[in-house]
Amino acid sequence: MSQSSKEKRKTAQRAGRPRFNAIRLIYTREMRDQLRDRRTLFTIAVLPMLLYPLVGMLLLQIAQFTRQHTISVCVIGVEHVTENLESVGADSLVSPLLVVQNEGDDEATESARVHPLGASELTSFRFPKALWDSNSNIDVYAYQAAELSRSGDLETRAQDWVRDQTFDCVVCVNQPLAVDVSNFSAEDLAGEAASIGVYYNVASDQSMIAKDRMVSILNRWRGTWVRSRLADAGVELSVLDPFQINDCDIAPERTREAAFWSKLLPFIMLVWAMTGAFYPAIDLVAGEKERGTLETLLCSPALREEIVWGKLGAVMTFSMMTAILNASSMLVTSSFVFNQIGVGPAGSSMGAPPLIPMLWLLVALIPLSALFSALALAVAAMARSSKEGQYYLMPLMMVTLPLVLLPMLPGTTLNLGTSLIPVTGMFLLVRSLVEGQHFEALTFLPMVAVVTSGCLYIATRWAKRQFESESVLFGDGDQWELGAWMRHLWRDRQRAATPTIAFGCGAVILVALFFGKLAVTEMPDTFGGIAKLVFLPQFGLILAPTLLMATMMTTSLKTSLRLNSVNWRVWSLVSVLAVMLHPIYMQLAGLIGEMYPLSPQALEAMRPFGEHIASAPWLSVILLMAVVPAICEELAFRGFIFGGLVRNNSPVRAVLVTAFMFGISHGVLQQSISATFMGVLLGWVALRTGSVLPGILIHFGNNALSVSLGRIAELKLPGMQNLISVDAISQAPQYHPIWTGCALFVSVACLIALYRTTADLDVMENNDVLADRIISDQPVRDPSLKQYAS
Amino acid sequence: MIQVQHLTKTYEDLRRGRFRAVDHVSFTVRPGEIFGLLGPNGAGKTTVLRILSTVLRPTSGIATIDGYDVAHEPAEVRRRIGFVSNNTAIYDRMTAWEMVEYFGRLHGMASDALTERLEKLFDQLRMNEFRDVPGGKMSTGMRQKVSIARALVHDPPVLIFDEATLGLDVLVARNLLGVIRELRDAGKCLIFSTHIMSEVERLCDRIAIMHQGRILDSGTLDELTQRHQETDFEELFFSLLSSHEDATHTIDAQGMEVAQ
Repeated sequence: MSQSSKEKRKTAQRAGRPRFNAIRLIYTREMRDQLRDRRTLFTIAVLPMLLYPLVGMLLLQIAQFTRQHTISVCVIGVEHVTENLESVGADSLVSPLLVVQNEGDDEATESARVHPLGASELTSFRFPKALWDSNSNIDVYAYQAAELSRSGDLETRAQDWVRDQTFDCVVCVNQPLAVDVSNFSAEDLAGEAASIGVYYNVASDQSMIAKDRMVSILNRWRGTWVRSRLADAGVELSVLDPFQINDCDIAPERTREAAFWSKLLPFIMLVWAMTGAFYPAIDLVAGEKERGTLETLLCSPALREEIVWGKLGAVMTFSMMTAILNASSMLVTSSFVFNQIGVGPAGSSMGAPPLIPMLWLLVALIPLSALFSALALAVAAMARSSKEGQYYLMPLMMVTLPLVLLPMLPGTTLNLGTSLIPVTGMFLLVRSLVEGQHFEALTFLPMVAVVTSGCLYIATRWAKRQFESESVLFGDGDQWELGAWMRHLWRDRQRAATPTIAFGCGAVILVALFFGKLAVTEMPDTFGGIAKLVFLPQFGLILAPTLLMATMMTTSLKTSLRLNSVNWRVWSLVSVLAVMLHPIYMQLAGLIGEMYPLSPQALEAMRPFGEHIASAPWLSVILLMAVVPAICEELAFRGFIFGGLVRNNSPVRAVLVTAFMFGISHGVLQQSISATFMGVLLGWVALRTGSVLPGILIHFGNNALSVSLGRIAELKLPGMQNLISVDAISQAPQYHPIWTGCALFVSVACLIALYRTTADLDVMENNDVLADRIISDQPVRDPSLKQYAS
Repeated sequence: MIQVQHLTKTYEDLRRGRFRAVDHVSFTVRPGEIFGLLGPNGAGKTTVLRILSTVLRPTSGIATIDGYDVAHEPAEVRRRIGFVSNNTAIYDRMTAWEMVEYFGRLHGMASDALTERLEKLFDQLRMNEFRDVPGGKMSTGMRQKVSIARALVHDPPVLIFDEATLGLDVLVARNLLGVIRELRDAGKCLIFSTHIMSEVERLCDRIAIMHQGRILDSGTLDELTQRHQETDFEELFFSLLSSHEDATHTIDAQGMEVAQ
């Protein structure tokens, strides 16, 4: 009897576990299916193979156009810039010459060239080697200014020529440049300074190139001229260069080579990994839903988990393939193109990137691809058709792209703070690996690994949840309508908020706070102003929406705000916690301040705030900074929102989500992080005690101690002096480490005691949840609740 | 073989509030029997059958197939059923053979046994001409055959057909009904939903008439005609439906009166 039941249980367990064979089978099918799809193949394989070479060719073309295209330049007033018999007197000063006559006239080429005007003045000219030595050609036509001016204004003539594209660029020298310095005073020289007109057309690429070349030639000409004049005046030429800049890059060879690629390549790869994940994900979930094949698969013996893993594998493979193909195609093309052009962003070190370190990139690509694939799969599951799926691409991109762009910002390096940011940390880790800084990379590897695997776990869990959710897989195509929805909210009101309402309330509060913050343009400089700055958001933006939603959308204010009474044991434990948690909070805030330091400007901006708080009457400060926030924030976050979320079968998620919202509501990053940690603890207390009241007390205690620690230190109470001291440098009060240690110990003890005290409440709490379930007609799924259900 | 007791499924609906698609439905189907689920569109037939095929979870009530609970042992249930529905399409980019083979392998069949089974099925259903035609290029009749072959590949004791004849021409539909009859003779337990009365009359051993999520009456054809004093089945169906609607209206009206 027991034997058979044991076996049965074993088989039942085995039945619930994903089988590798089935996963592989699904994976192979999905891969084959995708590979048979021409569109997928095109985007993933053919497009990158074509795209980069095409872009490369285009670049090459542009480069060749700029360098080798023959342009025609007309110089008017050639008598002023060449050796000319007519202006012999000034000749000695026009040196060197801008335009020289071609020696040994090549009659053949000369006759072949058809001059647009057929003007007789044309002789073949060229720029001297000293001014222009490049293999690209410049056709130089030269006219005597005097002769041209006989038939009209020189300036209009030059403009016409450029406009009609007779010449790409016209240089007009309409007065003798050569001046005898000795004949003029300095003022005269300044006034009489000769000018050369360069006429070009910004709308024509060719004209712009011609103009750029002409300007550089003229600059060079002017330079040599200045030098020769100075030399004539007896100035030692070496005086002109007081020093030389000798730049030397101390980065090792490998880093230098990798510098450019280590920034660009991961970015390209990540963006493509994202894109590459999304299209197959849409096809494999939303597309299958649309075609009706998903239900076929769902009623086959394959477990949901196996389906998810199989599909995830296929999406991930495509994501990685896209990334690798794109990156390698770009690599090959760009090294080829840069070689051809001969210039790169980092000079000659551009060439091919070092291949071996680039393998790190492939290693990092695996978890990131998996992450993107899981996200894409989960998001795509919400879509009912491929078309709808495409709409979800943008929001997903908007969320993930900043994480990819962040490491591209100048000055972002791998440190404790950045390593804890998902994707960004991985990116920076790879960069330091590619650059050969293995030790640095190794230091932050644990952080990055933990964060990445955490994200991966959450994303895959989400994807699995999506596949287990009926409303996601079989959501009907009902048109959402505001009126119907409002009626639904009113008609189906429940005792506490639903998860949707809870999320909505959180969103309303956060958005309101965000805009409220924008509305504040300057810090108030009186205590009254500060009071207003605290009161208004607390009451108007946090408490008001909560109370409004609680009265409008639920039937019981007491239940929805979780205003349940707790027994005296809980109260006493919580009062101890209210005092004892503060040193730990201070320690945590200090740690976060070190990891993500506040900017000096921000500190400066916050100083008057602190001064006013310090000088105001103690009671009003307590009221302002402790009582009001404790009540308002707790009622909103641990009351209404928590009460809604905790009904969603997942207390852990309720705790985390409210903590996160609570953190964001604080606005300043450093405060947000510590508030999030605090929020987790408060959420846990709210979960265990089933009431919002203990949280209010803890919150109050913590805030009250924060604002009055300085005053307590000033009192210099006997015995307290050693426990609370004032830091000599920052003037900030702080706890003695021993006291912090004690506080930690006492807090943990209190929390354990709280856990034990509330254990018997669990039964009641569960009964409540169960009753809620039964009333709301939802199936009982939580295994811990099953025993009460039966 | 199939036992359904007080099966209920509710949805949250924006317009109607909480909506009961299936309302305390109970029935039993024995092996070697074809059970017909007859009802107009939106009666909740598909929801019942989706719950039986473990694609949806019941809100309350119990449904067991071969002794396995659909809510708690869905994997075991899926091993023992073949589900053909309008919503279970076939893959466009897979040939008929590949498609059926794929599902056979998902059922964990050994490759020798699977090939043998496939040959037999393809002969039996006369599918050899389009063995290598991809799903995207098949006609509706061919697709339906592939779907049936897919459902039969692991030789399940229970078969669930949800509006399986929808959109088929007379020839193919007749063929399909023939196949279903053969399956019954082979001792399978079949459940067959449709809104076409003639199919039910010709095919089903026992019938349940569903409307607005409830089973109005069930029994063999003879039992039903005797109980309702109606020889014409179509008339019987309509009178049942309209009397049910009248009843609900009266209850609603009474409720209104009480409220007033």
